[in-house]
Amino acid sequence: MKKLYSNKPVIFSLILPGVLVFLFAVLAPICLSVYYGFTDYTGMGEAHLVGFENYIKLFGDHAFGRSLRNSLLLAIGFICIQHPLAIIVAAVLDKLQGKAEGIFRCIYFIPNVISVAVIAYLWKFIYNPDFGLLNNVLKAFGHPGQVNWLSQQNAIWSVLIVLIWHGFGWGMLIYYTGIKNIDPVLYEAASIDGAGWWTTFFRITLPLMKPVIQINVTMAVISALKQMETVYLLTNGGPNNSTQFAANYLYQQAFKAFQYGYGNAIGVVFILICILATVALNRIFKEKQEA
Amino acid sequence: MKEKHEKIGKIILWIVLAVVAVIQMFPLIWLVDFSLGSSNEMFTNGLLIIPKKIRWDNYVKAFVDGNFLHYLRNSVLINTLAVILVIFISIMAAFACQRMKWKLRGFVGTLLVIGMMIPIHATLLPNYKIYSNLHLTDTIWALLIPYVAFSMPQGMFLMTGFIQSLPKELEEAAVMDGCGIYRIVFQIVTPLLKPSIATVAIMTFLNNWNEFMMASTYLSTPTWKTLPFSVLEFTGEYSSNYAVQFAVMALTAAPAVIVYVILNKHITKGVAMGAVKG
Amino acid sequence: MKKKVIATLLTVAMTASMLAGCGSEKGSIQDSGNAQNQPAEEESAAASADDADEAGEVTIKLFSNLPDRKNGQGLVEQTIIDEYMAANANVTIEVEALDEEAYKTKFKAYAMDGMPDVVSIWGQPSFLDEVLDAGVLAELNEEDYADYGFIAGSLDGFKKNGKLYGLPRNTDIMLFYYNQKMFEDNGWEVPASYEDLMTLCADIKAAGFTPVAMDGGDGWPMACFLTDILVQVAGINYADIVSNAVATGDFSAPEIKQATQILVNSADAGMFQIGYDSQDYGTTMNLFTNGQAAMYCMGSWDCSMALNEDIAPEIRENIRAFTMPVVEGGKGGANDIAAWNGGGYAVSADSKVRDEAVKFLNYMYQPDKLSKYGWENGVGLSAQDQTPYLTGSETELQKQVMEILRNASSISGTPINDCGPSAFKTAVETEIQGVSNGSTSVEDFLAAIGAACK
Repeated sequence: MKKLYSNKPVIFSLILPGVLVFLFAVLAPICLSVYYGFTDYTGMGEAHLVGFENYIKLFGDHAFGRSLRNSLLLAIGFICIQHPLAIIVAAVLDKLQGKAEGIFRCIYFIPNVISVAVIAYLWKFIYNPDFGLLNNVLKAFGHPGQVNWLSQQNAIWSVLIVLIWHGFGWGMLIYYTGIKNIDPVLYEAASIDGAGWWTTFFRITLPLMKPVIQINVTMAVISALKQMETVYLLTNGGPNNSTQFAANYLYQQAFKAFQYGYGNAIGVVFILICILATVALNRIFKEKQEA
Repeated sequence: MKEKHEKIGKIILWIVLAVVAVIQMFPLIWLVDFSLGSSNEMFTNGLLIIPKKIRWDNYVKAFVDGNFLHYLRNSVLINTLAVILVIFISIMAAFACQRMKWKLRGFVGTLLVIGMMIPIHATLLPNYKIYSNLHLTDTIWALLIPYVAFSMPQGMFLMTGFIQSLPKELEEAAVMDGCGIYRIVFQIVTPLLKPSIATVAIMTFLNNWNEFMMASTYLSTPTWKTLPFSVLEFTGEYSSNYAVQFAVMALTAAPAVIVYVILNKHITKGVAMGAVKG
Repeated sequence: MKKKVIATLLTVAMTASMLAGCGSEKGSIQDSGNAQNQPAEEESAAASADDADEAGEVTIKLFSNLPDRKNGQGLVEQTIIDEYMAANANVTIEVEALDEEAYKTKFKAYAMDGMPDVVSIWGQPSFLDEVLDAGVLAELNEEDYADYGFIAGSLDGFKKNGKLYGLPRNTDIMLFYYNQKMFEDNGWEVPASYEDLMTLCADIKAAGFTPVAMDGGDGWPMACFLTDILVQVAGINYADIVSNAVATGDFSAPEIKQATQILVNSADAGMFQIGYDSQDYGTTMNLFTNGQAAMYCMGSWDCSMALNEDIAPEIRENIRAFTMPVVEGGKGGANDIAAWNGGGYAVSADSKVRDEAVKFLNYMYQPDKLSKYGWENGVGLSAQDQTPYLTGSETELQKQVMEILRNASSISGTPINDCGPSAFKTAVETEIQGVSNGSTSVEDFLAAIGAACK
């Protein structure tokens, strides 16, 4: 058994495909990015090494700062709006029995399976000030309905609404599963003690959901950092970079502004930030658990 | 008194759920509704319209000029291949790192999972350079490789967890019977992993089905373009005809929604399992 | 676990730096190799083109910025392609078409390695400088085009050191399209001065319509609009003022300041539709063609609206145009117009079928192709002499635009956003959204675009 399980060639053959994919599609591009991040490569012609110039420039780049701030806003929005809503709806749904439960769960999840391309274009129409759905809804309630949803001030919140709407089913489902895993005995005990719905929710459901919430919060921060597709199609970072995100910005810099080297420098910093954020969040939650 | 309370509670409960359902579904209903009208009918103040004449020809246009069938076929093919590859690679690697005895197993295992932290879009620029140098742009590989690479860490992570929870006795018995490692992996362990395979498959599918950033960067001709391109290309071509644009959006969304509604229970279970563990 | 993660990260970082070291060496060797091998490559390209001729079958890839193949310029391009393929049975032309923004992005991606054979280009520094520096476009023989009837000076933007690298497709004029019927019904008149324009806009707004439909989401149309104002403010000095500013990175010239201030005031007064700074080309144009906006600010290439069957006849037949009215105290006259020869075509330097591609290019530019068909399809003015193709049945809009060009006392040349490197262009097109919607001050705007020149 031992011999069989430590056969080097066999081990090698088993991990080779995975390692190859990792080297070729993850590590190699990152290394290339690191290299180009030190050059003034425009995307064509010759590349010259320029040391840390790109990184120094990045440090004073308002648009990049803006994209990090937007990621932070988005993460806060997820955590403070989407997740509480998702938990409450999940808890309410849990009370429901029978067919209706499945039907609601199905409906909530549907936006999730639709392509971002469709979602982004659809919301572009929903936000249209002239004939968009939202302004028409406002008009139906007697409001003049002339809101400019994608203005410089509003755009980032409008983006947030789309993302919350699109990802709601996912978050809800995870909390829902978490709630289902809670031992029903606890609820019975609470009900014998005469605890109401809210008390049960705050005293039993929420505390027991802690690990699930922690995972979801981590995922929220990461996905806020990684945001690109929706923004790319909905606003392309505009107006005036007010909805800029790191991934979109590096794409624009490399392919639009002819600053491939600079784009890669952004990419490198972006990767570092994502790794740091994940590690930091894991550490915070771990310490909390220990305490 | 208590009964009355419960009744009110039930009503509130239903209202909450219904409101959320309306918010989630109404934009889609709006989409389908206007896709059946003519473009001029968009400019009303009402929320929904009753089309003067139901314009199925919007869908015909969307179907034909949106290159729907061809892109759908590409999407299905590429995603299926990606799912199969991810499953195979992650089962093999997870088994090697979880069960086999070798020095670097922890290191390699962590390394492969670390890919989860890498933002996929940061690799768009360098990967473009790599693929074009290797003449992979505009081939199926340009999509398959990154799709597999960025779903593998998650697959690997999930599989490691599942394999860990399998009892060792079965494998031990198999070794007694003279099975080789490959047979153990593919004939003994893999069948036991069925629910986890379903989870990984669903997660991979959901991740990649809707992807278009890499596709639009690495592909140029329609040969391998995927379903989102029906929408992306169409809006430019039919910029003056909103109804047809709506039709193409509804049509593009349809396959995934239909499949989801049919396989609703399995998919929900798969996602729940994957997400809670991941 | 924690230790393991850190160890792994460290290893990744180390391997990364090692590989990066190798990568840099490889990269530079490759690049310099490319530069030296240029002539050799050209030869082999020509040779392979011959091979292709012998083999018979030739495939030319055309990369175009005209996604709508059924209307306007896209239709013209497609018609010529179909004709060419019919006339040359061995030639297949594959078209990839994206709209302008996506096109430019993809073009740069292609420019890294391997372009399609025939490409759309813009004869403007923001686009062409870096492209020509990289040597991705094939040189054309200017003498070949002596009798193609190109308008004097129209080739200048496509040259570098006296060598020609592309051919212009259009003469673009910045216009205000307006809905004549709407104007008549409401008793509005074409403004004679910018002040009149502001009053007119206020009247239109009061009547419940959008005065001017403006594609502010893309940035460049607004930059063209700013150019138009600047031409009225600075007159024939426009080009000097701008090129000076780009060269020094100092945009504090009073003319530029004044023009920007006028743009800000206009936007502030509600000249454009709500949400103009986030709306795209199609949405903006539809506002006008659906009769919700009285005017539409865009280049002369959209003259094809007058023939677009998708637009209701009562609107499309009533589209007329005027140019930027004079600004009080400005040096520009009514006939100093913002116009340029922007878009065009070129052939890729490393095309494997270069000779065939050039042949096709020359075919397109035969005076009775692009120029004639363009005229017949009402897509505005080509960069070639179109007088032989006047049919007498031109749309009113076409006649007007032709008249505008004929009466022009000066032509501005390249719009402001295209006068500098592409980083400058990106900065102008992003920042102009901020300054027009009032979230950036004029001074900050001018400083920001100045900084992008360095």
